[in-house]
Amino acid sequence: MRATWVGAVAVLAASAAFALAQQSPGTAWISAGTTGVLAAQTEYPTSTGRIGLLFSSGPVDMKAHPFFTPLGKNGRACVTCHQPAYGMSFSAEAARELWKRTSGKDPLFAAVDGSNCPNLPQDQEKSHSLLLQRGLIRVFLPVPKNAEFTINVVNDPTGCNTNPIYGLNSPTPTVSVYRRPRMAANLKYVTGPAPRIVLKLGALADTDPATGRPVGMNFMADAREATLLTQARSAAMGHGEAQSVTDEQLQKIVEFENQVYVAQIFDRSAGSLAEPGGPPTLGPAAMASHRPGVLGDNDYDSVFLSFESWKKGGDSAEEQFRASVARGADIFMFRQFWLRDVTHINSIGLGNPLKRTCATCHNHQMTGQDLSAGFVDLGTTNYPRWTEPPLYSDARDLPVFKITCKPEAQPHPYLGRVIYTSDPGRALISGRCADVGSIVMQQFRGLSARAPYFSNGSAKNLRELVDYYDRRFDMKLSEIEKQDLINFLGVL
Amino acid sequence: MKLRVLAVLLLAHTAAAQQLNFVTCPIVRDTRTVPCFLAEYEGETYYLVVQQDISADQYPPQLLHEVLVEGTIDKGPRVCGGIPLKPVKLSVMPEINQACNTILPAEPGIEAPPTHRPAGPSTRQPGATPAAPPAPPVRPAPPFVEREWKVLYDFDSAFLFSRDTRTVNQAADYAVASKAKRIEIEAHRGATLLSNGKVLVEGESVAAQRAERVVTLLKGLGADPASVNVRVVSAPPRPDGSTDPQTRFVSIRVSP
Repeated sequence: MRATWVGAVAVLAASAAFALAQQSPGTAWISAGTTGVLAAQTEYPTSTGRIGLLFSSGPVDMKAHPFFTPLGKNGRACVTCHQPAYGMSFSAEAARELWKRTSGKDPLFAAVDGSNCPNLPQDQEKSHSLLLQRGLIRVFLPVPKNAEFTINVVNDPTGCNTNPIYGLNSPTPTVSVYRRPRMAANLKYVTGPAPRIVLKLGALADTDPATGRPVGMNFMADAREATLLTQARSAAMGHGEAQSVTDEQLQKIVEFENQVYVAQIFDRSAGSLAEPGGPPTLGPAAMASHRPGVLGDNDYDSVFLSFESWKKGGDSAEEQFRASVARGADIFMFRQFWLRDVTHINSIGLGNPLKRTCATCHNHQMTGQDLSAGFVDLGTTNYPRWTEPPLYSDARDLPVFKITCKPEAQPHPYLGRVIYTSDPGRALISGRCADVGSIVMQQFRGLSARAPYFSNGSAKNLRELVDYYDRRFDMKLSEIEKQDLINFLGVL
Repeated sequence: MKLRVLAVLLLAHTAAAQQLNFVTCPIVRDTRTVPCFLAEYEGETYYLVVQQDISADQYPPQLLHEVLVEGTIDKGPRVCGGIPLKPVKLSVMPEINQACNTILPAEPGIEAPPTHRPAGPSTRQPGATPAAPPAPPVRPAPPFVEREWKVLYDFDSAFLFSRDTRTVNQAADYAVASKAKRIEIEAHRGATLLSNGKVLVEGESVAAQRAERVVTLLKGLGADPASVNVRVVSAPPRPDGSTDPQTRFVSIRVSP
């Protein structure tokens, strides 16, 4: 399998894509407007090995392709934030390299949302600190008309939320939050068929405006767009500052996105991740061939299938590492802990606390998202469990808002009626107090290419991510267990 | 004759004594398997429910919240160290109470009752008792007659849990299949008489919220909006201490 893969890449050696694949991650950045052909199968180096990218419809000609071509005035294209070499997202490290290489002139750093606020001097690095340090894009949203809460800014390190033009008290009151771009790959798992009723909401799912069919509400941090098509339009007009975008362009963007598969394909310690007889979940070809919509929170058809073939271990460093990965998979599936105070998990009838495992919430086979519409309040953005310093006055990066629920509203189930948050999440769309801090969980694939993690880019690496969960749920993981989990996540 | 009256009164008193309605912090009791949820009232410990999943008939309470317990003392043996209440209706009270935060460790001799779902992922291992798969949806068929469904609620809540949305879904399917001429929604606000004599009354707007959510769901599931009539009953009934959970409801009457 590995030979076939390498062979396939070799055959395409003449293509522009292959040339890109041989470069370091920094120079593999595809600027908007780049022409050339991307091979159907490509590998890109990462800090721990290589990720594999597979276009199931074959090579992609970037020339005039709307995913790769600027559609608006700021020079951005979809590819600006969804880079093949970075798991169809990008890393903060890649953003820093790009800043250095282009002196901050690349469209990624566009004032509209590639800086902390458009009013800041755009030629200065510090005006883009959230993008450069955490890989965050500014998302600016109105407060919903039906909001069950009032919102006040209590700390505004970027200045945007108190700015008279862009802020909460501007003529068009706007809340600026800062979020990581999500990976535009493996989307058949993310946008798959959805039930009409969302379990977590006890209400109807959003629907596709074109077909009226329910949608999965699982591919944006706040589930604000129903389909890839509406998201593409919104992104072109917002992030891309386009004046217009045609249906044909949107269709082509969606067609492209729907056939991109990404996963780690080689790990420096584990070796090839796509060899015959290995764990069947690994590699982008597995992502392309597997069926979406399978619930994996069970011990017979698990979330990431079986790592049995790696359990035996051995004397070599590779065998020992693989055994660690297999142990990590078991910890993910079977290590019990008190899962508590998570809105839309504990609050939907499961009880609080719930003695379960990681796979309870991260249950969608192959991706580790939630098969149900996925926004939950893990706590990453809400005080006191947020990922920021304990005192908000010590937080140098993110804004802090005070949310006060109106008396007639149902309060947040675990934080009550006054909530301090760095990102209200879904509540900025639903207007519900109970949704403050609820954010759609992300895929686990191709992680090594797209640090930092969590929606607010607060976990610089997988160790920090695992440490957060260990603290959050008092999991009492040993050092070996933590490393096993890190190794497991790293090969996905 | 006097003796008969006395006997009836005694029986009534005994029956009343078996019903317990109280608000307290739930207590989580860990076990070797899944945790149990308990509650203390007047110096006694009662067993409420065990952790299962959303297919369960009764959902567990939540730490950080008080629970309204409305149950009947069961004569069976203690479960998880507590006197079982059966049947029991549990309502998670909406406001936060930080004092509700007790988790007791597992102890030898205290076992959770059997459940179909272990603490980890679901299983088909020998000895496991998996939940029966949900019955496949049955397409309503004629003859179509007037039918009624009832959604019962937790105290002060308009949330439709999984079990409730299934009920509304059935009503919607029936309305669509029967081309219902009239769908009558009646939403009620309840009250509860606690065992200590105190009366709890639900919030004023809860009946309207219940109606709105059910109507939205029904229409979204295909019921003809023109056929939907809504009546909101915001005056709470006089609670009796035994049938109070049934006063928190929405009825859906479908007339073909």
